[in-house]
Amino acid sequence: MSIPTLQGLQTALSGLIASQQAIDVTGHNITNANTPGYSRQTAVMQTNHPLTIAAMSPVTGEGGQLGTGVSVATFTRIRNTYIDAQFRGQNTLLGGATTQSSELQQAQSAFDEPTDSGISSQLSAFWGAWSSLSDSPASTAARESVVSTGSQLASTFNQLSAQLTTISTQAAQQYTALTGPTGQVQDSANQIAQLNQQIKLSLQAGQEPNDLLDRRDQLLDQLSSLAKVTVSQQPDGTDTVAFGDAATALVSGSTVTWPQALTPAAGGQLGVLLNLSSATGALAGYKTALDSVASTVASSVNALHTATPFFTGATAATLAVAVTPAQVQTSSTAAAGGNDVAIALAQLRGGAADQRYAALVAQVGSDVLTAQDNQTNSQSLVSAIDDQRQSVSGVSLDEEMTNLISFQRGYQASARTLTTMDSMLDTLINHTGIVGL
Amino acid sequence: MSNRITQGMLSGSTLTDISSSLAAMQRSASQLSSGKMIQQPSDNPYGASRAIGLQSELDGLSSYASNVQDGTSWTQTASTSLSSINSVVQRVRELVVQASNGVNNKGDLADIAEEVDQLTATVKDDANAQYAGQYVFSGTLTNTEPYPPGASDAYQGNTGTVARSIAPGASLAINTDISGLLGNGQTPGDGKLLDVLRTVSQDLRSGSTASLNSLSGADLRNLDTNLDSLSTLQAKVGAVTNQLQVAGSRILDLQNTTAQTLSNTQDTDIAATSIKYSNQQAAYQAALRAGANIVQMSLLNFLQ
Repeated sequence: MSIPTLQGLQTALSGLIASQQAIDVTGHNITNANTPGYSRQTAVMQTNHPLTIAAMSPVTGEGGQLGTGVSVATFTRIRNTYIDAQFRGQNTLLGGATTQSSELQQAQSAFDEPTDSGISSQLSAFWGAWSSLSDSPASTAARESVVSTGSQLASTFNQLSAQLTTISTQAAQQYTALTGPTGQVQDSANQIAQLNQQIKLSLQAGQEPNDLLDRRDQLLDQLSSLAKVTVSQQPDGTDTVAFGDAATALVSGSTVTWPQALTPAAGGQLGVLLNLSSATGALAGYKTALDSVASTVASSVNALHTATPFFTGATAATLAVAVTPAQVQTSSTAAAGGNDVAIALAQLRGGAADQRYAALVAQVGSDVLTAQDNQTNSQSLVSAIDDQRQSVSGVSLDEEMTNLISFQRGYQASARTLTTMDSMLDTLINHTGIVGL
Repeated sequence: MSNRITQGMLSGSTLTDISSSLAAMQRSASQLSSGKMIQQPSDNPYGASRAIGLQSELDGLSSYASNVQDGTSWTQTASTSLSSINSVVQRVRELVVQASNGVNNKGDLADIAEEVDQLTATVKDDANAQYAGQYVFSGTLTNTEPYPPGASDAYQGNTGTVARSIAPGASLAINTDISGLLGNGQTPGDGKLLDVLRTVSQDLRSGSTASLNSLSGADLRNLDTNLDSLSTLQAKVGAVTNQLQVAGSRILDLQNTTAQTLSNTQDTDIAATSIKYSNQQAAYQAALRAGANIVQMSLLNFLQ
């Protein structure tokens, strides 16, 4: 049995086609080198089914298998799904830490410490005004100054309390915006569900939907900064996505179940926003502590200023001066020069109110510091994991260039094989058997 | 594990490094330009709360300093008045000695009595001394003249205490109870200065032998007793002034140390930060240069 005459042409042709497809893939990789979420692809080549030739050897009469060239079995993307899971876990922490850090920094800015406009300076000025009043108890100017520094102190308390409430309210609004019907969660979930459907159909048709898989992975990455994301792959190629601590899977096949209730345990940006807007969160804690400072100021001043209460209101939001300059009490007697009350009030400097406030500032400061440290740590971990992922999936232009050259050479060589075959056949067809014609 | 390096990784990490370099530089630059290490509590939470406490302490010290200054002026006013009263009483004593030598006729004695009356009015004026619109000798009734000029010699003030707060938890009484010296005049006949002065004047005017005897006897003795009390009172006022001065210099020392501590807590160490800044600048430039070179490099540059 002999080899089919035109077999060599087919073999050379398969080389041309495979090289061309490999070059196409290389081109795809190069063009997507900077596409976010893109995983490099390779054309997986395999040898064609060999031609079995029985009793090919004229000497031994034994048969053999003749190679029939190459074909591209499939195009696969190079991706490590284990690193994806790691990335998403860390990205959830990063999302939470970033939000925590930026929200707490807003709170810290509201405190405006240490500056001349913060509560500590206002308190100091207030005690100073009492001290000046003790020097000239009858002075109208000194009384005015006590009332005006007191009012300024009260209004600074009011403003700070209002600012903390605003930050907390904004956190709640941000949560609503993200989880609402036009929010990022709904939007990403819808896209993932659609991609699930398309991927399922492609796989059924026997195609590898690499680019669709990349897009789905990227959406999952984005979703993971909002809350914990747990992905389980189904046999049909769809992903079932558990989101935060929601009771039902966010996406299952092509079904989206949203909105669902989350708690601060959901993690990520949403978990932190829920925590910050809750009554037990850090911001609420600051407000409670501030209220306690305000009520300490009010009660310690009123305990000495016995004629009429100097302050009304026992919370930071409601603190207000209740006296006119004429009603300011300097003495326990009616005598014009008595200053025992003024002295006692001036001596409140450095007392419980000042100390509580300084402790609150230190607490806010260290909370912000911790949040910033967490953010920095998560950021570098995410970067490290992303580097690992890039190391596997990223497009290296040097590598693609090298591949391009080798596939180009492969193509040229296959074409040369074809030419050689052609020339052989030319010899056979046109130049054989013409002797004597 | 990162054995396969891609251009994306390179440019990503270059960018991260350059921006963290820049962020460090920005921190140092703002520490240098503001002069403060602690611009936000999170820069150093403990330091920030300590700075707040120290700042308030410093404000408190300047309050105490102004209290001390005010108290010192008050006691100086009192001291001046008492000195003036002292010299008046000395003059009266001279007049009494002069009057009791027996050579004066009735007219002379009347003249002396006139002078004593005027000197008595001066004593009352001195007792009505004011500092910053407050009568320093009327207890806490600082808007009431203690001895209004005119007939009545009764003390109009009270025995209340006017104090100045001079240190945390410490206040010092700065006023002097002058009613113990001047008394309430002849009506109660308390033997105090005004009573004695009025008696002297009466004895001079009366001119009788008994009066002249009492001038050189009881009146002179009473004057001396009152001069003693006056000296005691002056010494007391002097002691208060002294105490205030001591407190003042203590406050000054405290202000220095507190300001120093505050500065150590929150101010930038210019020398150290400048050097740090230079290092960061060098690192930043190196990162930029290396980044610019490495990001451009590719096999493409070498393919023909």
